[in-house]
Amino acid sequence: MGFSQVAVLASAQTELRPAWRDAQHIDLISSVVTNVFKGTGLSIDDVDFVIDSGSDVLDGRSISNCGFLGALGAHHKEEARVEEDGLWGALYGVNKIRSRSSSIGLIVAYSKPSESNIDLYWSAMVEPFYQRPVGFGQKAALGIQAQRYLAAHGIKDDALAEIVARRWADAAVGGKVAMGEAPDAAAVLAGTEAAWPLTDLMISRPLDGAVAVLIGSEDVARRTGRPPVFITGMGTSMETHALAERTANKLDSVANATRMALGKAGWSSGAEADVVELSGSSVVGELMALEGMGIAAEGHGADVATSDKVNRSGGALPADPIMATGLIRLAEAAKKLSAPVAAGASAPSKAIVHGTGGVAMQTNCVFTLEV
Amino acid sequence: MFYAPDTAPIDLPTFKSTISLPYTLTPGKAAGTFLAEMPNRRIVASRFADGSVIAPAQDFSPKDGEEPVELVQAPETGELTGFTRVDGVVLGLVKLDGCRNAFVHRILADMADVKVGQRVAAQWSASDEGTSILAIEGFVIAADAPVGEVKPLVGPAEPLGVINYGMALHYDHAYGPYYGRMFDELKENGVVMGVRGSNADEALLPPREIDDITHKRTGTWKACADTGTIRACSLINMEVYGQTRPVPYAYAEIVLDGASTKMIHIIEIDDLEVAKQQIKPGTRVRAVWTKGERKGAVSDIERFEVIEG
Repeated sequence: MGFSQVAVLASAQTELRPAWRDAQHIDLISSVVTNVFKGTGLSIDDVDFVIDSGSDVLDGRSISNCGFLGALGAHHKEEARVEEDGLWGALYGVNKIRSRSSSIGLIVAYSKPSESNIDLYWSAMVEPFYQRPVGFGQKAALGIQAQRYLAAHGIKDDALAEIVARRWADAAVGGKVAMGEAPDAAAVLAGTEAAWPLTDLMISRPLDGAVAVLIGSEDVARRTGRPPVFITGMGTSMETHALAERTANKLDSVANATRMALGKAGWSSGAEADVVELSGSSVVGELMALEGMGIAAEGHGADVATSDKVNRSGGALPADPIMATGLIRLAEAAKKLSAPVAAGASAPSKAIVHGTGGVAMQTNCVFTLEV
Repeated sequence: MFYAPDTAPIDLPTFKSTISLPYTLTPGKAAGTFLAEMPNRRIVASRFADGSVIAPAQDFSPKDGEEPVELVQAPETGELTGFTRVDGVVLGLVKLDGCRNAFVHRILADMADVKVGQRVAAQWSASDEGTSILAIEGFVIAADAPVGEVKPLVGPAEPLGVINYGMALHYDHAYGPYYGRMFDELKENGVVMGVRGSNADEALLPPREIDDITHKRTGTWKACADTGTIRACSLINMEVYGQTRPVPYAYAEIVLDGASTKMIHIIEIDDLEVAKQQIKPGTRVRAVWTKGERKGAVSDIERFEVIEG
């Protein structure tokens, strides 16, 4: 086990919905911040600092966290905003606790993409002189990435559809994602074209929702009522902004982030994990992330994508509350590790968690968890 | 608590808002020259010390941040290294001859005819696209196009200094249960409603589910008066972007009678000197309601006025 000073103590999330039309950001945030303490014996008064992740562009106001401080429980506390997925917020929080300047941190991430135009959000992220005028954005980037990957490895779109259908079926079982009937592989293939060769359902589905994760020092973790889930390794890495300059058909930054995390954890490979929770912006992005984490060989992500240890929460394809998706992966993985062991059954003891951000998964973050 | 309510209405009215931001973008020398050369139908690229060339021109290498040694002219031909189709438009990665990188542009062809490794050639727009990269309408399939060469850029145009640019983002904000009722009460009854704090009789405005300070549930609903006391104010006599009324006026933070939090509103001013004497913390004010049908918005209160005597 690597550095073991910080543990996930608890988490709470709202249902993830296409649109939370009857709730503001503050309603979603205050809901998870209130619920995260249940069963921990801790309260907001015990929290040393609050770190929140959200997007000013999606929220429609600058420095939007200033308006959400009350809901975050951050009144007169140390508070910081991370304008990246909440998994980076957790990374910040873990390091604060490891530095021994604090012992309990509250990490919150939220998103309401239903309130804005998601294509404009992505368009605002690309270069304005050369890329925006020609219509380049997230969909186009994911489409080109997928086209090249499928061509390089001779993978067909029906294999992708099977993976997508599995994710939706798992999300339906989890019960935290608002959906109608989960689409089967045929429905995935029959969907409208989002960015050839990807259909709509092969790209992650933006949803509204919020998540809160409570983290604490080992000392605190040993005293709370649940088995502590320790964060034993963390790593981040970022690709160049220029899509065409990135290494084709793989995500070097996932591999780099994984190497960093595993080095701390003392694992030899991401494949040691019993639980894998990852955030693919597209189904092909998931495969490339699996390969980057060392769970599958290059070009073989599809061979392990439907294994019983990968994204049993459903992952980002059926539910991508942008900025909260990676932190939800952390919450889901920690829950799987902390669940009591049924008599005689073997329980998972290691998890690897992945979050991503940017156009075509430009930036990536990896955590290892252990009990 | 909004954990998992039974219903999930998605057709509630929303608060519509647009953020329109004017920008003056600075392209820098390389992109500025590339764009300035668009009307001249020349594709400007950057050459680095190791001899490699990237197009369109950049002031730095996207791989290692190195600065280019010179700007050069790239050929109009190249090959396709990847592609997709979004909203019926084919977009491809085009690697111009003699360049080490590829860039995204429109591919003017049917998907059936597009494949990786395909030779392509720039097609210049018939319409005047000015200094936009869209002066290149896109790239057409050109199977037999000879391999072009990178050439010196002779007599480059002056790079563009700044580019006026605008971005408008549109929002449909949810009211949520608390703001929803507050605005409904404003519209239907002309009453400003807050909710009591978690441990006080005074109301929080705007109302909310969780008390900001205690992070406990707020109390019951309470109608506040439309009179109150100024707690902070500023006399505005300067025009700035985004103002909704002519100067001068006072911007005031007003605690309505029955509330504990400050509400921001406007007090009109006839005479600055009089206003300086009259409008200050502690001054009593009353709301002046907007005439006509109420809309259920803060603007249903047109302004506040000082209560004389």
